[in-house]
Amino acid sequence: MATVTADPGISAPGPGGPGEASPQVVGRSLGQLFWRRFRRDRFALAGVVFLVIMILLALGAGFIADNIVHHGPNETFVRERLNDFGLPKGPDRAFWFGSDNAGRDVFVQILFGARTSLIIAFFATALSVSIGVLMGLVAGYYRGKVDTFVSRVIDVVMSLPVLLLAVGLAAACGLQPQGCLGGLIKPGLGLVAMVIGLFNWPYIARIVRGQVLSLREKEFIEAARSQGSGNLRIISREVLPNVAAPIIVYTTLIIPNNILFEAALSFLGIGLPPLTPAWGKMLDQAGATFTYAPWMMLYPGLFLFLTVLAFNLVGDGMRDALDPRTAR
Amino acid sequence: MRRYLKLLALAGVFTIVAAACNTGGDTVTTTTPPPTDGETTAAPELQRGGTLNMAMLSDDGITYDPQKEYYSVTWSVFRCCLLRTLMSYRGAAADEGGTEVLPDLAAEPPTVSADGLTWTFKIREGVTYAPPLQDVEITAQDFIRALEREFTPEAGAAYPFYYSIIEGTDAFNEGEADTISGLTAVDDKTLEVKLTTPAGDLPFRFAMPATAPIPEGVTDGHDEDYGRFLVASGPYMFQGADLLDFTAAPADQAPVAGFDPGRAHVLVRNPSWGEGESDPLRGEFAYADEINIAIGGTEEDAAAKIDNGELDYLIDGVHPADQVQRYRTTPDLQARIFIHPSDAVRYLSMNVASPPFDDVHVRRSINLATDKDGLRRLRPGGELAGEIAEHIMVPGVLGDLLADYAPYATANGQGDIEAAQAEMAQSKYDTNGDGSCEESPECNNVLAVTDEGDPYPDQAALLSENYAPLGITLDIKQFDRGTMYDKCNDPASHTTFCLAPGWGKDYANATTFAEPLFGNASLGPDSCCNYALVGATAEQLAEWGYDAPEVPSIEDKLAECNPLQGDEQTQCFAELDQLLMEEVVPWVPYLFDNNIDIVSENVLNYHFDQFAGLGAYEKFAIASAQA
Repeated sequence: MATVTADPGISAPGPGGPGEASPQVVGRSLGQLFWRRFRRDRFALAGVVFLVIMILLALGAGFIADNIVHHGPNETFVRERLNDFGLPKGPDRAFWFGSDNAGRDVFVQILFGARTSLIIAFFATALSVSIGVLMGLVAGYYRGKVDTFVSRVIDVVMSLPVLLLAVGLAAACGLQPQGCLGGLIKPGLGLVAMVIGLFNWPYIARIVRGQVLSLREKEFIEAARSQGSGNLRIISREVLPNVAAPIIVYTTLIIPNNILFEAALSFLGIGLPPLTPAWGKMLDQAGATFTYAPWMMLYPGLFLFLTVLAFNLVGDGMRDALDPRTAR
Repeated sequence: MRRYLKLLALAGVFTIVAAACNTGGDTVTTTTPPPTDGETTAAPELQRGGTLNMAMLSDDGITYDPQKEYYSVTWSVFRCCLLRTLMSYRGAAADEGGTEVLPDLAAEPPTVSADGLTWTFKIREGVTYAPPLQDVEITAQDFIRALEREFTPEAGAAYPFYYSIIEGTDAFNEGEADTISGLTAVDDKTLEVKLTTPAGDLPFRFAMPATAPIPEGVTDGHDEDYGRFLVASGPYMFQGADLLDFTAAPADQAPVAGFDPGRAHVLVRNPSWGEGESDPLRGEFAYADEINIAIGGTEEDAAAKIDNGELDYLIDGVHPADQVQRYRTTPDLQARIFIHPSDAVRYLSMNVASPPFDDVHVRRSINLATDKDGLRRLRPGGELAGEIAEHIMVPGVLGDLLADYAPYATANGQGDIEAAQAEMAQSKYDTNGDGSCEESPECNNVLAVTDEGDPYPDQAALLSENYAPLGITLDIKQFDRGTMYDKCNDPASHTTFCLAPGWGKDYANATTFAEPLFGNASLGPDSCCNYALVGATAEQLAEWGYDAPEVPSIEDKLAECNPLQGDEQTQCFAELDQLLMEEVVPWVPYLFDNNIDIVSENVLNYHFDQFAGLGAYEKFAIASAQA
């Protein structure tokens, strides 16, 4: 069974009117159709451009630090960039975004902070989506007791005070050199990504479950079953491809949430190892210095805002492109 | 000292509990701005009246129980205002004689027997307590009561070790005696103190708040909360203290209204305090009618309030760097910022039993590589934060004996990597002699513990840079300050490098920088504060899981110095300091701290109290009260 592609909005009727064969009707793939719609959303396109730039900057942070600005994210310039009273100097030709309390380059910190944020956001999102999709598929497809059990688990997880638990877990595992759970969980970026990912899967699980509950009653599922396909095959070959669109859309929307979550944790000083640049950590440090070093808050705040906004714009654009019924 | 350490933390500043004896004020460097009228003149024309508005960012843990308090903030309030002791200080900076211990409730300096074991204090006549005990005169038995409480386990005293040299304290503490045999009230106005060993610094110990007199019966039933029922003897008392009713059962007594934990501490005049001759240290002062200490807020809030006159003085906390800069550079404001050495040292502590610091060459190399000037610049106030430290004991206790001593001096205190690498090349961990021990796993991810509060993470970043050329990488763990100290103080935690400790004197004698920091008796989680494990025995090292068979010890030198007195003792401790710096090398001392105070325009006659390392509040006069 092929992926269901029937969609009344796929192509406009030709001049001949409905039911009349038109020479202008062009067969397009799902990807082509998606792109035609997506590219009409200029905000989404701008978001993509920004994100591509951010990803390139994050990937090239080391190169930029070594070859362009010639200093690393944790390199301190206590005599060059702090005055006699210990106050940091602002933006200039050498330090484009100014320096922080330790005389570090805010620009380089932002580049490496982007790397931290994006790594954590992507890994945490991958974990959330993996768990959520799996749980949603199982609950929606099997229904009954399985659904009840999974749904209650979702309810429980959604009822948890996520930030507090995340803070507690990250603190408990992050402060001990040996980690926690017998060393199973080690301090570092992985810990933060895992903490975030473990608490954000219920949302996507609910969406997937709802979709699967509907899909499993469709004729093509019945057909597959009648042809002898097993549950695993039906789930993987028939159901999963048909929930791909909402998964993709939701994934793009969950990433900015996870970026903000990571920023909140690092703002609280939890989870990330010392000397790991992070936007939230930079904002935390900037709070006390805002009156005399506003650039310490301005730049990380701006980049955090723009990155989250870009992901949201891209997510909205993808949703509109994948589901024209919700188009603006 | 724990409480003191908490202040260092909370404030990141300079607080030092106590001060004292060295009257060599001319040897203490001060970076105070050009003399201000207020601090250098007695200003006899000042009028009493008005309210002194102060702030404390947190009073968490403050009890105002004289036996429990080991915190410079409360010591400053006790000395100026609430409690008088047999001996005390004049509430002045070191260069004004602020470390000289003087008779307070004692009518004259104590006399000491030829063998140094028996001290006699004559008590001032006619001094009474604050209401409701304004008719009760202070007697010798009241001091004995205070010291007995110091050794009563239920009272939870903070520093009984200073008085354990008094004969009979052990027996009393263990319940084997009803009284301390070494304390005798010869008559109402004569206290005799017998020691088990000579202690020339005893007058300083009797200037600490734990020895303040306690009237009969007032602590009954108040082991935990005597501070809320405190009977004052100084120029002030808690608001509402006159309503205390000690005739009622302890559970039925209402505490003072003026100590409202977490909200405000309000001090009002003690109407029974005798001025002039009866209190020679404070008699002509005590200008404010009321002292109001508001609790809470942030350093930034406090700075703004001091700027606009809503607040007169911040007791704890650090003034923001921009405020310090503004007050130092604006002519109209320069008279309101005061900078004094606080007799505290900040240092990095190396665990001499833990690789790679079990090799003295590595420890010396670390000393040479450390950018002390950089560490100072990262502290609030930058260069004003203090003087670069080249040895352990502060000038406030050694005078100028080691003024020119700098075994690891580098240009401008910025570190010398070449010299450090040359030293490292002699270490067993630098197997190829290239000045870096990166080839040795012991040099990788050295466990370094620091405070999570500013500026310590930034300092850790700088130190990581400093030591990278030596092949040493740090595995930095950040904790809240209390946890950090617990980690550093617990040998079993194997904390190799403790990056954020500080130490201040309890009184101006080098003994307070020796035994507590490097003595065997100060080792382990149940004691404090020998983080470097200097002097640990082979058995202790094995018990704590170290492979090192032995570590350097200074026990012999301590035994030599402790019984000495006066200049001879100071010289001995100066030699000990040199021994520590060159042979033992447990620390990288990097800063002799300054205290930076900024007051509102409402404060006249600011004075610094070298004993507590904070303001001498009794001398603060209120501008609005002047005619």
